[in-house]
Amino acid sequence: MTVEATRYAVELYGLPALLAGKRRIEIDAAVETLGDLARALLQACPQLAGPVIDPELGWLQRGYVFVVNARFTREPTTPLSPGSEVLLVAAQAGG
Amino acid sequence: MNAVHGKALVIDLSTGQAEPFPIPQEVSSLLLGGAGLAAWLLLHFAPPHVDPWAPENPFVVATGPFIGTGITTSCKLAIATTSPQTGFIADSLTSSYLALVLRRTGFDALVVLGQAPRWSVLVVENHRAYLRPADDLLGHDPEATAAALRTELGRDVRVAAIGRAGERLVRYAAVVNDGRLAGRTGPGAVLGAKRLKAIAVRGTGRFPPVADPAGVAAAARRLAARSLGPETAKYRELGTVANLAFFSRLGVLPTRNFQTGSFPAAEALAGERLALHQRADRQACAACTVGCEHHFRTTDAGPEVTVRLEYETLFALGSLCGIEDPNVVLRAAALCDHYGMDAISAGGTIAWAMECVERGVPLPGDPAEWPRFGDGVSLLRTLELIGERRGPLGELLAEGSRRAAEIVGQGSHEWAMHVKGLELPGYHPKNLRAMALGFAVTPRGACHNRTSAYEVDFSEHAGDPVEQLARATARSEDRSAVLDALPICKFLRHCFDDFFAEAAELVRLVTGLPVDADELQRAGERIVTLKKLFNLRQGWTRADDTLPDRLLGPGGIDRAELETLIAAYYRIRGWTPDGQVPATRLHELGLASLLVHAPIGS
Repeated sequence: MTVEATRYAVELYGLPALLAGKRRIEIDAAVETLGDLARALLQACPQLAGPVIDPELGWLQRGYVFVVNARFTREPTTPLSPGSEVLLVAAQAGG
Repeated sequence: MNAVHGKALVIDLSTGQAEPFPIPQEVSSLLLGGAGLAAWLLLHFAPPHVDPWAPENPFVVATGPFIGTGITTSCKLAIATTSPQTGFIADSLTSSYLALVLRRTGFDALVVLGQAPRWSVLVVENHRAYLRPADDLLGHDPEATAAALRTELGRDVRVAAIGRAGERLVRYAAVVNDGRLAGRTGPGAVLGAKRLKAIAVRGTGRFPPVADPAGVAAAARRLAARSLGPETAKYRELGTVANLAFFSRLGVLPTRNFQTGSFPAAEALAGERLALHQRADRQACAACTVGCEHHFRTTDAGPEVTVRLEYETLFALGSLCGIEDPNVVLRAAALCDHYGMDAISAGGTIAWAMECVERGVPLPGDPAEWPRFGDGVSLLRTLELIGERRGPLGELLAEGSRRAAEIVGQGSHEWAMHVKGLELPGYHPKNLRAMALGFAVTPRGACHNRTSAYEVDFSEHAGDPVEQLARATARSEDRSAVLDALPICKFLRHCFDDFFAEAAELVRLVTGLPVDADELQRAGERIVTLKKLFNLRQGWTRADDTLPDRLLGPGGIDRAELETLIAAYYRIRGWTPDGQVPATRLHELGLASLLVHAPIGS
């Protein structure tokens, strides 16, 4: 089964936003899970490679977390659907 | 036990006498040091129901076993006294070089009693303590006070000082050292009541030896390396100001006195924007490899100001007061530093006053001088009035939001946003159930640092059932207590895979105590319990563990749910349904023998 490319918007906060130079990135990609989205995000915004996303794993470094539809998660198998609201932020949200 | 001196220096300001006080070994081994030692010394030396302004109110400064070991972020001091804001425990932490020199005096802690006959500086030089008249320093800000004393006494002297706000007994006055503030709960006001402008310390002795020097050095190197990783990148690269835009997006950014959780102008105050356009430099506390202290400069037409800025200051003097201009926030932050005031309580009290004005509830003084939401000029003017306790408005707001609401009446207590008299920090508890619980029950009053329960809310466990949520909140509080006792900075907490297990290994290497993860967690629970015991002796009742009315209901957390969470928290702590600590629980925690000389209850 092939997954059709869908447009996802990822909002960036903190260091990810600074590195990307923007608050929001739009991605057109065939995405089923959060893991897929992280890899697509890396392609769309290579500045995140290293400090935020491990380029070898294609997944977040320890200090970062996604918020999907208002739920915090670091689970790459989290399913996404068109319209999912996705935020990327430092895991140490407080301070 | 290694890494302790085993004694405190007790100074009676009324007589000028200073005497060593032996700290029982059991106290150090069960409570570690720092916040645990400070809480125990407070309980030991304070009479029951002590008035915060009374000479009998002890002012305790305590060090911890990790200071001077080379373990990163460990240069912290714990202060404990009775809070002029809450009447309960005042418990504040501050960092940097003062911790190192105090550790080298040969004492683990200072206990300051009495009241000086005239304004004075307490000078501690190793085993010797004396009072220096301070008339020439009155009116100086904390930084100028420290500079003058270091010029006079020597550059190796480190100073904790109060500013004008402490002199004038502003209830949320801070103690300032090395550019850092112990602000929450008003310890600077207690020093003011003691007529103590500053404490100057020279310590030239050795640090107490650790149990395993080679092991400590290796562990310190490993932790330092981890402290430079992605777990702390947020603090290094941006600092905590990074929270603001994200919190607004989540709807948890307190705005216009907690009337809402989102600020339409959040992008103007966003940490990312500040970093790009107004960053000046970055500094670190002594012995810290993280370096979270970001300084920002004003860019408006006024005189340039450069000031340290953290999220709590940014929210309290920004969105909470409806302020959109970052330059106004920076100037307001600089004023808080200048007067030596806690920015959270200052902003919270002014936001209360702004809402009074918005609702047509008259304040004292000239209506033209009343503060108004979004009006930066009025914010800055009001901070000056408070810092000087100038005029009827300054006098009123120097009392904090709870007392100000009691004085003004007209239902204004409904928008006085405090718990136990301590203004809320920058987390709107709407949708943050664990944080709501933490705010309600933490002995200090509404505090993000002592509970850290937002981590539960900002995780996959946010929707957990009541019992798990309450347990996670209690464990988070225990972890914070351990961090404050060792001490280690909370910004390092994510550099551990299993905090209690890995920190226990550090404790074993430093102290030689056979501590495991469970025992370390119990140490945290003991410290939280000691603070609670102090509050009980001060007259705490079940009604004190709650949230402001505004946050109970559709605008926050359901009242019945909060009660259920509190009941679960008490169960998990082993307390009675009305929040008392049974004697059996004290025995289980090993605390009973430590309290022989500090009886609980009236």
